[in-house]
Amino acid sequence: MVVDYLCNHVVERGMVVACFYYDFASREAQSPTNMLGSLLKQVLSGLEAIPVEIVQKFRGQKKAIGGRRLQLPDIVKMWIAVTSLQRTFICVDALDECVPSHRREVLGALGQILQGSPNTRIFMTGRSHIRGVVEKELGVTATSVLIVSREDDIVTYLCARLGKDTTPEAMDSFLKNDIMKSIPEEISET
Amino acid sequence: MSRAFTDNINSFNGSNNVFFIASDEEPKILAWLSPLDPQVRHHDICEQRVDSIGNWLLETKEFRGWYNGSEDGGSDHTALFCYGEPGVGKSYIWYERLLANN
Repeated sequence: MVVDYLCNHVVERGMVVACFYYDFASREAQSPTNMLGSLLKQVLSGLEAIPVEIVQKFRGQKKAIGGRRLQLPDIVKMWIAVTSLQRTFICVDALDECVPSHRREVLGALGQILQGSPNTRIFMTGRSHIRGVVEKELGVTATSVLIVSREDDIVTYLCARLGKDTTPEAMDSFLKNDIMKSIPEEISET
Repeated sequence: MSRAFTDNINSFNGSNNVFFIASDEEPKILAWLSPLDPQVRHHDICEQRVDSIGNWLLETKEFRGWYNGSEDGGSDHTALFCYGEPGVGKSYIWYERLLANN
C-alpha cells in the first residue's frame, strides 16, 4: 500500500526514485557495478521504452565472447543520459555495510553522476564512522545530518506497537505506564 | 515487415529515428544491467515503519537545502548523508516520507 502510494505520488510529480539497501550478508553480490546497475534498472523500469543508447550498448557487448561486463563509467554515462529530463532521487541505505574499497568506488561514481546530472539528488544513511569518507569522496556537494532517537518518536512508536498487541489481556494500566516511562528513559540515557 | 513481427515489438521514438526492440529483449537488458533486486528489503521496511516518526528531519535546514536546491538561497548540496549509531532508526527515515511530505 505504501509503495503504491509512493508510485502514484512520484508519477504525478514526474519524479523517479531508485533505492538500494546494503546488507553485510550480501556483500559479495553487491559489487559497485551491480549496485549502480540496479539503480539504473529501476529508473528504466519507469520509462515507456529502454533508450536506444542502452539497447545498442547491450547489443554491442553481446558480440564479445561470453558478453562484456558492464563497467562503472558505462553506467554513469547511461545514468546521465537517462535522467537529463527528469528529477531523480537515489536512496542508499546502510552504506557502512558495503566493502570499504567498493564504498570508495561507488561514492566516486555517485559524485560523477551528481556532476553530470543536475536533476539527481542522493540520500544516504550509514553509521557515523563512514562520515569522513562520504564527505571526502563527495566533497562540497554533500551535507551530513546526525540521526538520534528522539523521545517523542519513541513514544509514538511504543503507542503504535502496543496498539497491535496480540495479547492485550496481559496488559493493564500499570504495566503500560511502566513501559511508556522506562523505555524512553532507557533509550535517551544511551 | 510482416504483421506477426510488428505485433511483437515496442517502438521507441529516438531523437532522429524510430527504434524497435523485440519484447523479449527488454528483460535481458535489465538482467544485464544488474542481477540484483532490492525490492524485498524495501517492502519489509515499509511494513514495519510507523507514520510520523522522523518527521523532524524534514524541518532541518540540511534537509530543506538538499531537497529544494539552491533556489532556497543556500549552497547546492545535492547529496544528504544521515549518520548515526546502530539502532537509532536511520533505515526508517526513508524516502516515502521525504517525498510524501513535500
